[in-house]
Amino acid sequence: MSSTMSPEIADLIARCALRDRAAFRDLYTRTSAKLFGVTLRILKDRSEAEEALQEVYVKIWQRADRYVAGGYSPISWLVAVARNHSLDVLRARKPVSDDIDLVLDLADGGPDPEQATIDSSERTRIDGCLDELESDKADCVRGAYLDGFSYEELAARHSVPLNTMRTWLRRSLLKLRECLKA
Amino acid sequence: MSTEGHSGGREDDQVLVAEYALGLLEGGERAALARRMVSEPSLASDLRLWRSRLATLDDEFAEVAAPAGALARLEARLFGVAAPGGWWNSLALWRGLTASAAAVAVIAVGVNLMQPRVDPNMLATQLVAAIQSQEGSGVEFVALYDQASGEVRITSLKGTPVADKDFELWYIKGDQPAVSMGVVPIDQRMEIPLDAAAKANIEPGTVLAVTLEQKGGSPTGVAQGPIVAVGTVTPI
Repeated sequence: MSSTMSPEIADLIARCALRDRAAFRDLYTRTSAKLFGVTLRILKDRSEAEEALQEVYVKIWQRADRYVAGGYSPISWLVAVARNHSLDVLRARKPVSDDIDLVLDLADGGPDPEQATIDSSERTRIDGCLDELESDKADCVRGAYLDGFSYEELAARHSVPLNTMRTWLRRSLLKLRECLKA
Repeated sequence: MSTEGHSGGREDDQVLVAEYALGLLEGGERAALARRMVSEPSLASDLRLWRSRLATLDDEFAEVAAPAGALARLEARLFGVAAPGGWWNSLALWRGLTASAAAVAVIAVGVNLMQPRVDPNMLATQLVAAIQSQEGSGVEFVALYDQASGEVRITSLKGTPVADKDFELWYIKGDQPAVSMGVVPIDQRMEIPLDAAAKANIEPGTVLAVTLEQKGGSPTGVAQGPIVAVGTVTPI
């Protein structure tokens, strides 16, 4: 999804906040393939992924007013809503959990416009930093983010004990953070 | 040093935030960190870093066409096509709107205190909306509605004029279409007398929005240009 369409997507989200149903339909038409890709990849079941997609767009309609003047890319915001909802389903949590709402708010409306500008204009791609990790460790980070794997699943997939996986990944995350901040 | 206990050291915190962003924390641990983020700005800012960096992986989610009919089911559910009125009864929606109005109130009062031209003695009878910039438009207004005079006083705080374009102010009440309040200037204050309909409709929770329209404003009475600023009316 190209970044050039972001301003348009942001405008459609803003119009959803103004209860513009045509804008909602337009937003769905442009972004549903991406978000279905997210729910399908994490849930790995077509009918569950479709149900999740419905819930995700209900949330987007209801919470469009929270995406304002962010600095957070509009596509990233939509993907975050889809990803968080899918993780909730995956971990059999309640459909709406307060802490996720809370963190979405923190990320979207933080009183830190300067930081947000830096984040979006000079955003370091994470790929380069992942390349500096050993490949199986980078795979774990990707697996957690893109597939929603838990520590247990990651340990099983890499055939290591759970505690070993935790230690591995935590060390990798510290290294990754240093690289991302650099 | 134990990596098991999360005893609260700086490195432990950094790892916790990363685990949170990845979705690896569950249950109580996750909720506890979320609560801490509210009071510890460094954790929240670390989360922003992780989220923005991890989001560059979003490209790796392949697009898959959504199932046919999914949009129709969604619209029926959201807008109650089969059962008109269902949408109005959505508790979650109204709760959401109320919560956002409360959040704007804090901003609005803050903006207001910094506005020397506002007479503090008048505030008790007024409604305010901080009309905040959308997506880097850099356009911001504050609107004060004095119910006694029946006028909205709109003051531009930020923004520059755009050649061959005008900014137009709208109010939106609930699910009804936006209604124009006319073209508004940048860099000066303006009083807009309200008609009876606007007086009846501008109340706490009504949304004020500014769009960029052709010179003279939208000729159709329907907003056509991009939304550059939005705010919710709040009592002060």
